[in-house]
Amino acid sequence: MWVYEKKLEYPADVERTNPRLAREIITQYGGPDGELSASLRYLTQRFTMPSNYSKALLTDIGTEESVPIGYQ
Amino acid sequence: MYEDKVNLIKSIQLVGFAVVEMQLYLDMNPCDVNALSAYNSYVARQQNLITTYENMYGPLRSNTSQSCYPWQWINDPWPWEMVY
Repeated sequence: MWVYEKKLEYPADVERTNPRLAREIITQYGGPDGELSASLRYLTQRFTMPSNYSKALLTDIGTEESVPIGYQ
Repeated sequence: MYEDKVNLIKSIQLVGFAVVEMQLYLDMNPCDVNALSAYNSYVARQQNLITTYENMYGPLRSNTSQSCYPWQWINDPWPWEMVY
């Protein structure tokens, strides 16, 4: 289950709007090679992992990769 | 006043980042005693900082911290509204 923390992982100040930069960032996050699809891939691949190491690592990386939406 | 709050949040972010990285390392190196003790001490520090913050400024997590009256979760600032 998703547990929300009311803080960013890293401090980020939004000083002004920048549509071109915003488009780059949203593509990095949600685009075809973005972190969102990577995180879902990790969280799906972990079901076929043979070792406890890899089950844990894919769970934790998949969780962290899905975080950047928190930068919003 | 606001500066104290921001500094506390920054400390939580600092320690929290260390916890995340140590966790990933320990997934692949579960028998590294030194790393494990570092992880445990970071987690303890993180817990202290979070408790301090929540007692002063309200809940940081949606379902593991209590709230005084009225319900505090809806209060500003949200993460994207914070000024550092």
